[in-house]
Amino acid sequence: MKISEENWGSFVILDIDGQLNAITCNELEKRLNTLIDQGEKQFLLNFTGLDYISSAGLRVLLVAAKKLKTGNGKIVLASLKGQVRKVFDAAGFSALFHMFDTCEEAMQNFRS
Amino acid sequence: MNDTVTFQLKNNLSELEKLNQVVDKFGEKNHLDPNDAYALHLSLDEVLTNIISYGYDDLNEHLITICILLRDKELVAEVEDDGNPFNPLNVPKPDLKQPIEERPVGGLGIHLVRSMMDTLEYKRSNGKNILTMKKKIKYL
Repeated sequence: MKISEENWGSFVILDIDGQLNAITCNELEKRLNTLIDQGEKQFLLNFTGLDYISSAGLRVLLVAAKKLKTGNGKIVLASLKGQVRKVFDAAGFSALFHMFDTCEEAMQNFRS
Repeated sequence: MNDTVTFQLKNNLSELEKLNQVVDKFGEKNHLDPNDAYALHLSLDEVLTNIISYGYDDLNEHLITICILLRDKELVAEVEDDGNPFNPLNVPKPDLKQPIEERPVGGLGIHLVRSMMDTLEYKRSNGKNILTMKKKIKYL
């Protein structure tokens, strides 16, 4: 898994490439925790390059979303591939996270 | 077409990479469509992650045996481990309607396996957990 980070307005955009499983999710969890501790509140996770997610990956997103919710922050997701989307649907996570078809669409939505 | 692959993994999460490679190769060789290949990978990943994380009280090395096979238009994945008795079929179905604040962390792995595969069978035999997961494959 590879994570690239970019600041965009009040958002931190994280591009997650590769596989998010029980091993690799620790790296994402650490990165999100560090950013949240630094005061970041809004995250756009770009899943264009994400080929695989397991429940371990979902857990990291849920934990971060819970933390952010108490401080009026949020995580939005963009560009989920078909199979990754199916995992979100099966877990009932599609109702928990605002999702956009593309990263551009998400950025347009939040451009004030 | 019939095909069988049997392999063993150690009770260490780093072995998930090996699982990924074996499942990928099996999927390619047997022309599984991406959805079925994903379902197979995810189901084995979730089951193995559970066994490796919670199945053993000691710190010793254990071997987990995995068998993947295609037979009569059915995909079968069997996992055998000598860990603590654990019947995943007894795991209650999570409430998927709860909002973020109330959603419990964890407990989704087995639910995902159930949603990805058609049937799950469990038995405890000779001190081992044996879980068999099956999925019909129509196009092969």
